[in-house]
Amino acid sequence: MRLPLYVMLLGGGTVVQSTVVGEFAVAGVTPDLPLVITALLALARGPEVGLLTGFSLGLLQDGIGGGLLGAQALSKALAGFGLGFLHRHLRVSIGPLQILAVVAVSIGEGLLRFLLLKAFRFPGDIGEMMLYGVLPQALYNGVVASVGLAGLIWVRERQRGKAG
Amino acid sequence: MLGFLFRHRTASLFGLILLAGFALLALGARSPGRRLPVEWVGPVVTPLQVATAHLHRRALAIWDGYRDWRVVRGENQRLRQEVETLRVTQLQLDEFQWENRRLRNLLGLAERLPLEAAAAEVIAREWNGWVRSFTVNRGRASGVERLQPVIVPEGVLGRVADVRQHSAIIQLVSDPASSVSALTQRSRVQGAVEGGPSGQVRLKFSAQETQIEQGELVITSGLGGVFPKGLPLGYVSRVNPPTTGLFRYAQVTPVVEIPKVEMVLILKGQVDLSSLFPAR
Repeated sequence: MRLPLYVMLLGGGTVVQSTVVGEFAVAGVTPDLPLVITALLALARGPEVGLLTGFSLGLLQDGIGGGLLGAQALSKALAGFGLGFLHRHLRVSIGPLQILAVVAVSIGEGLLRFLLLKAFRFPGDIGEMMLYGVLPQALYNGVVASVGLAGLIWVRERQRGKAG
Repeated sequence: MLGFLFRHRTASLFGLILLAGFALLALGARSPGRRLPVEWVGPVVTPLQVATAHLHRRALAIWDGYRDWRVVRGENQRLRQEVETLRVTQLQLDEFQWENRRLRNLLGLAERLPLEAAAAEVIAREWNGWVRSFTVNRGRASGVERLQPVIVPEGVLGRVADVRQHSAIIQLVSDPASSVSALTQRSRVQGAVEGGPSGQVRLKFSAQETQIEQGELVITSGLGGVFPKGLPLGYVSRVNPPTTGLFRYAQVTPVVEIPKVEMVLILKGQVDLSSLFPAR
């Protein structure tokens, strides 16, 4: 992937997450766009790209959001790496499975983030956090990822058409 | 060393990022007031956030405008449709009013008539030089028979020429083959009202008669057994000059505006109807 496009995707994703995504809240739940971008890039480019993308986007989110610096960077980096690794080794290439993987990784990332924050005296309760925060957002991420995957498939088909 | 790292690129990168992440966490947790990376991120990200927020607001405003426009457009279309519907309804109401008036007229006549009559609606018209006839929606099933007279509130329209189960053909007084026994109301001149190929109606009478005047009403004479006596046929519009033949002719303007007729009465029986149609 070309570097400017990559930078634009990272910057755009973070900025859009902090400004526009609130408009698409369903019952107070918003998707985690940077995580979806991380997941899609990890699925498309492998664990290294997933790791770097997750770290960069998480760090940016930490910086913008004012939370514990490094928590999202680490959790998203691990999520991106994990998904890329899974994809590379288990060949998860079927669309619905990839969506499921994004949902699973979202849950994992949420859990990891919670644990990291808990380690630094975050006061929340894990049950509530999972029920009202992590799980609904993971499902929403799955929906957004399915749209993103459909977009990626479309782009690939067009590229193939042009090449053919 | 670098070669080792490159060979195990994935693991090295993973370890490096893990290390960086924990370092950041430790740094952030130990000195929450000094968030150096945040200080670096801010100047880059804030203008982008401002621009995005601005764009977002503009996009929302455009979207709102579009939504309003769609609502107004939809409302406009709905109102237009409503106006069209109301117009059609108005036309139907006008039509019903006219029909009501015609039917009341016809009903009034039917009630005044001392004989049985069946109301019928004109459903077809034959209007060429050879045949001038109407088809009505009453037939044998309604007791209609051949040669029964057909009238409207103004006077005679014609007679039943053919009957089917649920319809009947009316031969009009203007049909070229039509001949109705008649007399002039004032001068009492006997004759026959005949139709012509161009739709004109004329009174054929004896050459010896000289008293017929223009404007005189021509009525049925009751002779021939088809039409009851006294039904208006038309007004004498012009009396032709005498010739050497046995008969003379007078042009007659029918009392009935034939093209406008929509409802008719078919009479069943014979009786003098002169009193029902006084001279105008």
